[in-house]
Amino acid sequence: MRIVVPMKSVPDLVEEIEFTADGTGIEREQLKFVLNEWDAQALEEALLLRDSGGVEVVAVGCAVDPEIDQILYTALAKGADAAVRLADARAGSSSGPAGIPVAARAALLAAYLEDQPADLVISGVQAPDDPDGQLPPTLAALLGLPHVSVAVGVEADGDGVTVRQEFAGGLSHELWVGLPAVIGVQSARQAPRYAPISRIRQTMSAGGLGELAVTPREPQGGPVPRRMLQPATTGHAEMLTGSPGDVADQIVELLRSRGLVKGE
Amino acid sequence: MAGPLGLVATQVTRPVFEGIGPAGRVLFYAAAVVAMAVFVWGVWHRVRKYRIGREAGRGPTIREALVRRLGSTGSGASVTRGNLATGVAHFFIFWGFCVAFGATIILTIDTDIVRNVSRLFAGHSDSFFHGTFFIVFTFAVDTTGFAFLVAVIYMALRRGVRRPARLGYGRAGAPAGGYSRREMAQGDWLFLGFLLAILVTAYLLTGLRILGQHMPWFTVFSPFGRVVAEMFSATGVTPAEAVRAHTVLWWTHATLALAFIAYLPYSKAMHMLTDGVNLLATDRSETLRLPAPPPGRPGYREIADFTWKQLLDLDACTKCGRCHEVCPATAAGAPLSPRDMILDLRQWVDASTGGITLLDRERRPDDTGPVSPGTGVRIAGDVVEADALWSCTTCMHCVDVCPVGIEHVPTIVQLRRSLVDEGTMGPTLQQSLQNLATQGNSFGKSGRMRGRWLRELDWPVPDARKQHVKYLWFVGDYASFDERLQDSSRILATILHDTGVDFGVIYEAEHNTGNDVRRVGEEGLFEMLAEHNIAALSEARFDEIFTTDPHTLNALRNEYPALGATYPVRHYTELLAELLDAGTIDVRPLGHRVTYHDPCYLARYNGIVEAPRRILRALGCELVEMPRHGVDTFCCGAGGGRIWMDDDLLTERPSEIRIAEALSLGVGQFVVACPKDATMFADAVKTVRADDRLVVRDITLLVAEAIAKPAEPGLVGANL
Repeated sequence: MRIVVPMKSVPDLVEEIEFTADGTGIEREQLKFVLNEWDAQALEEALLLRDSGGVEVVAVGCAVDPEIDQILYTALAKGADAAVRLADARAGSSSGPAGIPVAARAALLAAYLEDQPADLVISGVQAPDDPDGQLPPTLAALLGLPHVSVAVGVEADGDGVTVRQEFAGGLSHELWVGLPAVIGVQSARQAPRYAPISRIRQTMSAGGLGELAVTPREPQGGPVPRRMLQPATTGHAEMLTGSPGDVADQIVELLRSRGLVKGE
Repeated sequence: MAGPLGLVATQVTRPVFEGIGPAGRVLFYAAAVVAMAVFVWGVWHRVRKYRIGREAGRGPTIREALVRRLGSTGSGASVTRGNLATGVAHFFIFWGFCVAFGATIILTIDTDIVRNVSRLFAGHSDSFFHGTFFIVFTFAVDTTGFAFLVAVIYMALRRGVRRPARLGYGRAGAPAGGYSRREMAQGDWLFLGFLLAILVTAYLLTGLRILGQHMPWFTVFSPFGRVVAEMFSATGVTPAEAVRAHTVLWWTHATLALAFIAYLPYSKAMHMLTDGVNLLATDRSETLRLPAPPPGRPGYREIADFTWKQLLDLDACTKCGRCHEVCPATAAGAPLSPRDMILDLRQWVDASTGGITLLDRERRPDDTGPVSPGTGVRIAGDVVEADALWSCTTCMHCVDVCPVGIEHVPTIVQLRRSLVDEGTMGPTLQQSLQNLATQGNSFGKSGRMRGRWLRELDWPVPDARKQHVKYLWFVGDYASFDERLQDSSRILATILHDTGVDFGVIYEAEHNTGNDVRRVGEEGLFEMLAEHNIAALSEARFDEIFTTDPHTLNALRNEYPALGATYPVRHYTELLAELLDAGTIDVRPLGHRVTYHDPCYLARYNGIVEAPRRILRALGCELVEMPRHGVDTFCCGAGGGRIWMDDDLLTERPSEIRIAEALSLGVGQFVVACPKDATMFADAVKTVRADDRLVVRDITLLVAEAIAKPAEPGLVGANL
């Protein structure tokens, strides 16, 4: 089974983020970029499938994403079989201030996957700049494949995979999907593994990052940011005072009033 | 009476093989050859095991030690340190054994060489074993032997009656399937019993011989043997009976002595051979500046990854329990004891290389840990469980108290390296390492914000990348990013600024030095951080570095030179002490009654114990020392990357144990000189609900308080 995991770099959210002058994007020059945390989950899920045997995992990143080499080498260090840096063959294309828009990213990935088909595409379900998780379904639509999102576990099962989805209140269900398919992973079955720096450095010095230029179709649709806003401060901490007994009573009352505990 | 005894008593000597006929002599020599063959095979088996190990690069250490440390090694000074009675007893056992061994060699030379060679060439049998030589010989052997006997009896009473806790073999962290170390205790008693039996039979033998010889005058030079003879005589034993008993006892003594020779390399007695070498080869600087992983390998996975010194370390352990007693992890209830780790590795390595040791085995019903079968077993993870390895704070106390030169910490780090390579680590540690890799600090804060705490100062702190400064302040993560500590950092900056000290920082170019990253076992990340810092420092212009964090100091002073970067590095307490001593800082006496906690990486690692005490004296504080202070300090529990891990496995944190120690002194202030200590102990006093009695304060705050005019005590950020 060939699993392709799209990887994307996003600004490290510990950085102070500043907007561009027109207010539609962020100043990317000074920022540190790290792997989108959901993509890290997707990679872990793919590697877990790989650990069970008979699976090839290919990490794919967009060449214009900052720090993408480091991210792809890290994927190799964690155990991915190959890593590919995708470039847009059309001249003059580069990422705008907001990075590659979701639709364009999906088109680029689709062009790659049409060229080199995968049995399974496992992507992070969302990203800080794709909060409603449009990438996996857009990609699936472009490829004409079935799609499952918000997965918390993917396991090989006959000709397809069993995907677990989790709902509020701890409910979950499993569904079977035939291959090929696109899956958006919310979280892997276990925390993403650690890649020791010496291993990452070894993969770097060994090279082995695949380069590929593809010609995507013109992206259609997708949201266009009109204005960026700093997070508004909402709510505040309320300090409970009194004796430990009083405080305990207040906490119980709060939990009860919010419906978090039931009964007497 | 007729017979050999009566005849020789006319000459000042004693016969060797007294009362033993030619057949008996043949039997004895045959048995001796067998015993020595067994001995040689055992030693050879051990040596062959050490030769599996890598080169340790200890040649220069051994050569230097032969010149400088031979005396202290020979006197057993390391056994005496902190344990006088045991050390003295060991001294007499050690030298008693050496004298007895030397005596045997002399007798062999006389009996087997001189007499035979002279008979062969001169036609008559010569001997030097008579007259004055005999008297000196016999006196030396008799008196040192008696001291040896008393010392062995003392050791037996200590072990059997007084039973100090450290000689108990209870594990730190009992394995789920149970375990038994009964055999190990039996092995100890066998060793003691052997020595005791050999010595007692020796004196009975001497007494019987002297009585059988009708107590010739010169036997007063065997004073203790003579006393035994007089006692026999007083109880009515006749010389003839003595002669008969002597023959029986001679064989008993000879059998015991030969059996001991054969037993030696298979037992605890092996330490007589291993520990001299281990002490000469030991090098504590290998803990200050950790060795690299084995070439081409991430860490230790198999026996061949260990150096011969580390394999020798395993056999060198006498289970004295000193490391077990001082280890903060053990004290805190973690599943680590340095002793247990060494014993586990020893048992597993021995079993995996043929298994020759006698009564030195832990047994487990489920065959886990050191009992794990040889193949497919992970040394880090199975033989020594991962949680035990992760419990080490690298405080180095084990290395320092070990009387036989075992270096536990470098071995632990090598084993951690293979855990890191497998990705076997807790989530908080993993997050911290990822933060360090992306932002250069363990807090996961933006590296660009490292210098933000300086913004609240009224004047610009010079950027050492842009202008030359006398002192480059390497601030460190905690003092830069922890909001509770930034006040102390600003106060220190203010004191130095007001005193006119020319210092600067390198702002966001500074990254964590990686001291604890290296001790976690993340070698690649350490290299990355070190390379970054070395490059950043090469861009800066300064005369000297001073650090807030002792861990930073250790990396810059001891680790970076191996990477080609050497700097003069001091701790801020040294700088403050110098300024106070010179009168550059004007202070009024505070009169506080305080105790001071020595950070491991300042005191034990780098020997800086006086500077903070000089500061306290200059401030007019009364320093009440905790029982464990100076280089014998007790770890706060944060070192070696422990500060990035959770404490779920601990029953009582080392920091809480330490606060309890301080509370017993009745002082009001607990002074620290390490940012990690400040956070650890500020938490601990709250956890043990002692924050109303004991205040944790960085020594900087005391200096600031002493500078401040009495009318404005509020100027000083009172405490943490």
